[in-house]
Amino acid sequence: MSVRAITGLVVLNAGFAALGLSLLYALRGFSRWQDAARLAGLGHLLGVAAFGVVWTELLVLGVPFNGRGIVATLVLGIAGACVAGRLLGRPVPRLARGPGLTTLALLVTAAGVALVGLLLEAFFRAARLQSLQASNAWAFWVPKAKAVYFFEGLDEQVFTVSAGPTYPPLLPIVDAAAFHAMGSVDVVTLHLQFWFLLVGAVAALAGLLYRHVPAWLLWPSLLVVLVVPRFGERLLTPQADVLVDVFFVLAALLVALWLDDRQGWRLAAAAVLLAGATLTKREGLLFAAVVVGAALVASWRTRRRDWPLLGAVALVAVAAAVPWRLWYRARDVSGEAPGDLGLGVGADRTVDALRLSLDVLFETSLWSVVPFLFLLALAAGLAWGDRRLGAYFAIVLGAAFLGGAWVTYSYADIPITANEALNPIVRYTGALVLLAAAAMPLLLASAWRHGRGSERP
Amino acid sequence: MDPRITGASRGDRLRLAAIGIWLALALAVIVVRYADAFRAPNDTARANAALDLVDRTLGGGNSVFPDQGLMVEARGRIPPDGAFQVAVGDAQPGWTDLTATFAETYARYFLLPRRAEPGADWILCLACDRAAFPGADAVWEGEAGLSLLRAEQ
Repeated sequence: MSVRAITGLVVLNAGFAALGLSLLYALRGFSRWQDAARLAGLGHLLGVAAFGVVWTELLVLGVPFNGRGIVATLVLGIAGACVAGRLLGRPVPRLARGPGLTTLALLVTAAGVALVGLLLEAFFRAARLQSLQASNAWAFWVPKAKAVYFFEGLDEQVFTVSAGPTYPPLLPIVDAAAFHAMGSVDVVTLHLQFWFLLVGAVAALAGLLYRHVPAWLLWPSLLVVLVVPRFGERLLTPQADVLVDVFFVLAALLVALWLDDRQGWRLAAAAVLLAGATLTKREGLLFAAVVVGAALVASWRTRRRDWPLLGAVALVAVAAAVPWRLWYRARDVSGEAPGDLGLGVGADRTVDALRLSLDVLFETSLWSVVPFLFLLALAAGLAWGDRRLGAYFAIVLGAAFLGGAWVTYSYADIPITANEALNPIVRYTGALVLLAAAAMPLLLASAWRHGRGSERP
Repeated sequence: MDPRITGASRGDRLRLAAIGIWLALALAVIVVRYADAFRAPNDTARANAALDLVDRTLGGGNSVFPDQGLMVEARGRIPPDGAFQVAVGDAQPGWTDLTATFAETYARYFLLPRRAEPGADWILCLACDRAAFPGADAVWEGEAGLSLLRAEQ
């Protein structure tokens, strides 16, 4: 709860951002420093994913996790990526003026930044002295993080006896790194680590979309999602739900942009984020399959060229996920997926699960009217915009929705209820609502440009 | 207006109407919801600041243990490389629905790096049967049947 702890978190997250930006430099280069600043949010989340994936594999191999290891990983990762970038001929970024904004765009951007910034500042104060209340956090997420911190690895007792023994360790690793950065197991200030992740996610969405959509579509989309009743401070709960959602949404957005401009760095970054998702929560595998599957369908016409690339993305995500699965299976832990994948479940439960998912998605007391706005944007995109983009997001949304229903009906011990203590469907549906923040502006901008040629803001 | 004059087809008008409706709805939601979304974290920040250090440190444990002293004493007395066990007896007045069910789970979290082990010298006793721990002395006793026992070395 001290200034020293907060300073430690600032340094750690700057390290994550530097790692991610270095990876982006190697993948795409930055001609201007402004481009690096614009993609700093994406760099932050990319750094968190890369750090978490690398350390998951290292912990499975038995490498001790400590302060020196954290610093070494970040320094070596940053230096290695920068050297790789130079060897690949990436230019040194320079300070240069980019294309200017119109007065309207400038005003809307200023208003959007101010309103989002004010909200994030309020979230910071709420998180600053927040006690650890969430039951899943103290039941298993934070104990696992404490175990990584105290015992420098995947302590068998804690990781196999705690609830959710198959849940992947990326979040506990990030939490443990935060403990090292704070100088103690400060589970109060730990909430600020999740604030940094939220700031990174908002900055990543804004930075990625900034050049592709008008400001008057970008900022209302971000704001309308941030103010839904279910989010707010819950975005800062020290559990893995929001992080896996953010990895999924950013990867889905990068792939959507790749479908438009085929810039390979977007796929590479999406692969790292999806690998992070598979090691953050079990549904990360489902999300990765959804994104890759939707991209396969959307790129059907160019499958000879694109499918091998998408196959490589899937391979990276799956390969990252395997060692952790081997680790817990070697310790006789099972239960990540239902034995028969839910095929033996009766039709009644299937219908009930679908109805529950639908009820939760359109529950205005949770998500306001954001799902309706998402559908309206989807319809506009499909009717008047880039139909491939519309089809891609329709498949991502539909498949992710069905995935949520599958989780409910395939685990027979999960009751058909929106009670969050008994069924994860409300937390799961948060991913679809966060997806709206990325998809709505792209879909609407595509429809908006329909009558104006292909001009970009 | 005649579309032939404006140059806008019916499809264009529909397109612009759809985008306009989306924007109007989104702005309306932001206007209606923003104040609440801003107020809620401010209220939380005030409530958090009003908590004392023990309340804040225990967090969810306040809903599990009727007496904060057990966790505080256990953390203070059991050495970091020590071990403990949790023994739960019949529910007592003052216990919550979570006490018997989640006492061990919470203790495992809160007391790490101290480990939970059967037969450990330190016993977190929640109205437990003390006869099951012959030779163990209470080093701390609190309310609602909670005590911290230590078995003979």
